[in-house]
Amino acid sequence: MSRVGVLRFPGTNCDLDVFRAIEDLGHEACWIWYANPFEEREYDSYVIPGGFSFGDYLRAGAMAAQSPAMDSLKKAVKKGAPVIGICNGFQILCEAGLLPGALVRNEKLRFIDRWVELVDQNKEIYSLPIAHGEGRFYIEEDGLKELRDKDQIWLTYKDNPNGSISDIAGIKVNSVSALMPHPERAMKDWMGGTDGRRFFECL
Amino acid sequence: MSLKEKLDLYRLNQDEYKMICEKLGREPQGIEWALFSSLWSEHCSYKSSKRHLKKLFREGPRVLESFGENAGVIDLGQGERIAFKMESHNHPSFIEPYQGAATGVGGILRDIFTMGARPLALANYLCFGDLDAPRMTTLVDGVVRGIGGYGNCVGVPTITGQTEFHSSYNGNILVNAFALGYFGKNDGVFLSKAKGIGFDVVYVGAKTGRDGIHGASMASESFEDGDESKRPTVQIGDPFLEKLLIESCIEVMNLGLVDSIQDMGAAGLTSSSFEMASKGQVGLDLELDKVPLRDSTLTPEDILLSESQERMLLICEPQKVDSLKEVFLKWGLDATVIGKVKEERKVSLFWNGDRLAEIDPDILVEEAPEYDRNYDPWDSLNKKEKIQFDSEKINLEELKSYQGSTRSWIYDQYDQRVGANTARDCSGSIGVIQLPESGRALGIVLGCRPHVMRHDAWIGGADAILYPSIELSIKGFEPLAVTDCLNFGNPEQKSVMSEFVASLEGLNLSCQKMKTPIISGNVSFYNESNGDNITSTPSTGLVGLRDSLSYIPADRFQEEGSQIILIECPQVLLSGMRAENKGRDLEFTGELNVQEVSRWCEKLKEMVLKESPLSTRIVGKFGLSYALSRMSMDSVSANCNLNEGEFSGEKLYQVLVEVKKSKSEVWINKMDARVIGETQATGVLVLNKETQFQVSELRKLYKGGLSDVMGAQ
Repeated sequence: MSRVGVLRFPGTNCDLDVFRAIEDLGHEACWIWYANPFEEREYDSYVIPGGFSFGDYLRAGAMAAQSPAMDSLKKAVKKGAPVIGICNGFQILCEAGLLPGALVRNEKLRFIDRWVELVDQNKEIYSLPIAHGEGRFYIEEDGLKELRDKDQIWLTYKDNPNGSISDIAGIKVNSVSALMPHPERAMKDWMGGTDGRRFFECL
Repeated sequence: MSLKEKLDLYRLNQDEYKMICEKLGREPQGIEWALFSSLWSEHCSYKSSKRHLKKLFREGPRVLESFGENAGVIDLGQGERIAFKMESHNHPSFIEPYQGAATGVGGILRDIFTMGARPLALANYLCFGDLDAPRMTTLVDGVVRGIGGYGNCVGVPTITGQTEFHSSYNGNILVNAFALGYFGKNDGVFLSKAKGIGFDVVYVGAKTGRDGIHGASMASESFEDGDESKRPTVQIGDPFLEKLLIESCIEVMNLGLVDSIQDMGAAGLTSSSFEMASKGQVGLDLELDKVPLRDSTLTPEDILLSESQERMLLICEPQKVDSLKEVFLKWGLDATVIGKVKEERKVSLFWNGDRLAEIDPDILVEEAPEYDRNYDPWDSLNKKEKIQFDSEKINLEELKSYQGSTRSWIYDQYDQRVGANTARDCSGSIGVIQLPESGRALGIVLGCRPHVMRHDAWIGGADAILYPSIELSIKGFEPLAVTDCLNFGNPEQKSVMSEFVASLEGLNLSCQKMKTPIISGNVSFYNESNGDNITSTPSTGLVGLRDSLSYIPADRFQEEGSQIILIECPQVLLSGMRAENKGRDLEFTGELNVQEVSRWCEKLKEMVLKESPLSTRIVGKFGLSYALSRMSMDSVSANCNLNEGEFSGEKLYQVLVEVKKSKSEVWINKMDARVIGETQATGVLVLNKETQFQVSELRKLYKGGLSDVMGAQ
């Protein structure tokens, strides 16, 4: 069992869902409030849940990336602590410079909620829901090449819903991984699928 | 200003003016005009509907709170309770669709968490005009973006809805928002009645601005051309602030820091403060100069009438105010003491120490005028001995009409799963969520079919309860309670009032027979534009419960080689939506026996729970062929044979059930049902042998329609 810190910002709204999913898998979940710095040794791993931190009013994730808890998280990442960012969490990690690239408005400029099929580095297929308005991953060509060369493209969409470059749905750079789809919404059969459970295994 | 000019400005009539003078013992002065204008508006006072609403079926063993509070509350057993309500935001949404719809969602959510319930689900009932009517695609786009923009950000999933199109809404669309919240074992229910003499009145949330001033009285008027001038009466929403309010309010409630609480909705600070005082049988001293302002030039009257969003009024023991402020500060919100509760039953309004007004709150709230508007006893004009249908080939043209095509263009823009409780989303015939503590299933479905209302108001009213009840029952849910949102035209017209009374009678009788009390709701009159009234539309929201999330029947055919059973409770035959689209007269034949339908409904639910059919569907608009085509949209389709004429019209009521072969006997014996065909995985839907449709073709038609028009936007 590991002790998982769940970061909470004003406007985070998948916090309770992620908290429950972590507990459901037998881990201990603990809240980390954005305004408070924390000691890295208190937690084994971290999750940044989705939502609209600070209303996404400047750019999705931009304000959250500047908070005291994120400064502590950067220190933890330096020591190799595993981090997963989901949806808004992905956006925050990019804004904080912990992951390369950026997430911009969906190609058709509309919010999209639906189940999508994803493929990982090992050609395994997952079915997870997405729900985002700014989920189109973008990165300059050299950055994309680096992701490819280092095998850091974690997940791609089978049928690209938002115009992401190279169909990218998730990336993994060292101990920091992030994805736009919501694994915490695919934990039980009645939710429509259980593929989400496998995404919390690295914690 | 002459008296007439004043009455026009404040939207009061001569008789109301006389009543005010009598009650005050003098003429109203200064700010009092504004108070009466808001609280005596149709929107706040229900003056045309009150006497009819009093007759509604509201009682039941599960009902904990009903009308009079922000939302009704029912007991689900096992320590779980839910609050839910539906409310209209029609007028603002027509003037400014994005903000109108967004603040409709915000307002209904506040009604829910004000009670102490954590919002779990949203739904919306929308009526638009013809898509080629002026501004209509802009309105559809704006409303959908507004609902999504607010609901997605605040983090409450939209799990079901209903969208209708008809020319009667060309000049006045309907936007009704439904919200449901949850109380776990340890959560208290909070009420709005002020209590505690000497307690502090605390203002929390957004600062007060100029938006929405006179919104309540605007919503009590009909539309005419040139209404662009009404735009400043529409409020602006901030879903991020609402999310902070939800979390902080629930936190201060859990900490026991709040004695009563009310959100500032229609007529803002005026209605919240006067209603709290009136319900609590106490008085309040309010210092308007202490209200946090966005714009320092606001006058006391503006402050009283502003409908700025995301604001709450709390009553709190003075020694707890510091702890309360600390919680709100953590969430980045200001909490400001703006007054005190007092024993003397007067609300006194102060501005920099000067008393501007002092009124008994009951005069404004309880003693608002009540009208007995003229109406005729209901006479079914369209009732016929027999209806004739043209004999024609079965076709499925309606699949590509915007009435008959999928609404996915709309609901794909809503977050349907945030909260991770969603078991059935907007693509299903009902929405289903898991109850967090017990793991049981809660079903939510909206009702009212405007085309049935256009056939007959009494039947349409009954159908607004019966149809969704059947939808719940065939998924194994027991219908528990109802919220309603009564959207009508101008009540001063006899024809409108007659339909109001008739549909309410049909609706109420159905609630009685189904044993589903009406626990909350609202009335929206004056849905009229340049003299044309909308289709009378009493929309409803029903909630049902079932013990388990497992084996809920699907909406579409599941297995090749199973049998398709048609179960009927045949009472009324309508010429239907297909006839309407062809411009034929709307007629019906037969009598609706509500008692019989409700018994049938109960029996269906029992059978579904016992026999777990593979899939179920109610036969609705466009009748049987359309229903069969909708069930055939996945990999399994059907081969069915029906008698001549059975594909014409719409029968109240019919359901289709897919069962394994071995089980069909039980259904036939117990439900007076018949096998009409079998499922097949051939990719072809066969109706009466000679009519065949490629499923891939049907799917293409169904996916087009609305999204072909809107997707091009």
